Amino acid sequence: MEPVIVIHGGAWAIPDHLAECSKTGVKNAAKCGYSVLVNGGNSMQAVESAVRILEDDRSFDAGHGAVLNANGDVELDALIMDGKNLAAGTVSCIKNISNPVTYARLVLEKTSHSMLTGKGADAYAEKLNIARVSRDELVTEYAIQEWEQYHKYKQSVTNLFNTEKAHDTVGAVAIDSEGNVSCATSTGGITNKMVGRVGDSPILGCGGYADNHTGAVSTTGHGESIMKVTLARLVLFYMEQGDTPKAAADQALEYMLHRVHGRGGLVAVSKNGQWAARFTTKRMAWASIQNGILTYGLNPEEKFQECLDNFSCR
Amino acid sequence: MQEESSERGRKRRNGAVKQVGISGCMARIGRGKISHAGNMKPVIVVHGGAGKIVKELDETYRLGVKRAVLKGYDVLRQGGSALTAVEEAVIVMEDEPIFNAGHGSVLNEKGYIEMDAIIMDGKNLDSGAVSAVRNIANPIKLARLVMEKTDHMLLTCEGATLFAKAQGIPETPNDTLITERSRKRWMKNLKENSNPIADQIGLGTVGAVAIDCEGNMACATSTGGLTNKMVGRVGDTACIGSGGYADNNVGAVSTTGHGESIMKVILARLILHYMEQGKSPEEAADAGLNYMKSRVEGTGGAIIVNSSGDWTAKFSTNQMSWAAVKDDQLHIGIYHGENNVIPLEKAL
Repeated sequence: MEPVIVIHGGAWAIPDHLAECSKTGVKNAAKCGYSVLVNGGNSMQAVESAVRILEDDRSFDAGHGAVLNANGDVELDALIMDGKNLAAGTVSCIKNISNPVTYARLVLEKTSHSMLTGKGADAYAEKLNIARVSRDELVTEYAIQEWEQYHKYKQSVTNLFNTEKAHDTVGAVAIDSEGNVSCATSTGGITNKMVGRVGDSPILGCGGYADNHTGAVSTTGHGESIMKVTLARLVLFYMEQGDTPKAAADQALEYMLHRVHGRGGLVAVSKNGQWAARFTTKRMAWASIQNGILTYGLNPEEKFQECLDNFSCR
Repeated sequence: MQEESSERGRKRRNGAVKQVGISGCMARIGRGKISHAGNMKPVIVVHGGAGKIVKELDETYRLGVKRAVLKGYDVLRQGGSALTAVEEAVIVMEDEPIFNAGHGSVLNEKGYIEMDAIIMDGKNLDSGAVSAVRNIANPIKLARLVMEKTDHMLLTCEGATLFAKAQGIPETPNDTLITERSRKRWMKNLKENSNPIADQIGLGTVGAVAIDCEGNMACATSTGGLTNKMVGRVGDTACIGSGGYADNNVGAVSTTGHGESIMKVILARLILHYMEQGKSPEEAADAGLNYMKSRVEGTGGAIIVNSSGDWTAKFSTNQMSWAAVKDDQLHIGIYHGENNVIPLEKAL
């Protein structure tokens, strides 16, 4: 099997001043994930490594760079899923952790549970000796400015999404040389969200789903709409019925727009290595690598390609 | 139909009327606002959890699901919505200490009760859920408030508790929610070599699905989760598509069983997917439960109603307590193949 990785950096109206660094960020993440795959790593390792790059990149709303909730705090959600046995680990509403995706993977590997939340999750992270970071370390100047603005005007979440000003979510899907697929998604949620709000990202079938029999999907966009239509699982239902990842993605995003008036985006890979990166928002930064060719884009129907000689995790 | 509606019109003019007929759907009568009652015969199905039910508690479970289903059906018969019917039915089971939801929930490893619940409206796919919430009597009520009063769909932990306070929901001390049975089970599982999973016997989630006379569908699910679970563990119940799903175009499902397995296969949404492809609720439930067993070795149960009012209650565990009302008939069962039918007037 020829390995493939596809990355997204969130579907929203990315402002021009963030356009270049968003593109660079997803390209770096794709290169990192792909280097894992070509060096014999499996798809779980690849999606985790790629998402970690984006969590550490301050341009994205996940890990460092996460947005603030109504109290000015950072609360993070993440998910990782192994398509081989449908095993998954997810965390919701956790604080003071740089790489929620890695913690989600530890929940998968070290507990008999699939999902941990809030203080219980924080306590278990301490038990595992996961490094704690202060809130201030995770927060960027941009996140604070955004929060102050929304806090002042008390805009609702719906408003945020109608104007598509909301930051969102990062994610990755991959297939390795053994034909195993995986997905990972990580987010800080939406600015000024209620304390304790959990979005689609850590919910299996919504923020992501992976099944070796079909493929893997990671989603982004208006979380509440994605949850209403269980977007990731919906895309895979369409693929099970014979749709290509692109056709399945378009059909599912169209359904979400019509049925619940929600916009979003996603990356998908099939068990045959076909892939797609699609969105109904104004922009979504995405990148993929297959056969050593890097493909990426930001605006609708935009596609750039580069041939790569060497890949590495920076 | 013609006669029924003209009778309804007459009674409406005459003022307050409590009930049109035992099976009919009465138009809700409000000041100047008269809703048009639909033609759908209302149906409600409830479950009290899939697992293994010991003989001594057999009757208590039957009584519990019966009281819940009759409460929900009463709502539907008076023209209430499917959403209110499933909420009311689940509240009955949350208040009943025999069930692992609300009062009577199991304890986590630290001796606390942390509960998950979800409610979903099939009309517009709106949903509300809470996870790992403490110190409230009826998580399903809080889930509905999340749906109706916030822009969000899922609130967790302290955030959910803060929201409950802001909504004026009284705080219920942990000790008030704990039953002697739950505490004993927890103590037993603190010992070495205990097996909390095997000890989960009879401790399933509760849930309800309904279709009202307008043809609207809803589901609700509520649970205390797994006994001796880690603090902060969230199971399938709070996760949309896993613990429940409702879509007027297809049907409504509420699930119970091994939470981690249900989440892996997104059981409720999977069953509805099979129904979208033409399977009956019964065939779809069997297909979904069989898939969960073969793919991830998990067992569980599901109750389903579809847009034509066909319903089923199926499980791959040893037992599941369930009850349903349709056409003035109460159906009730616990064991495989069991379906006791009792005319409603005798059950009341």
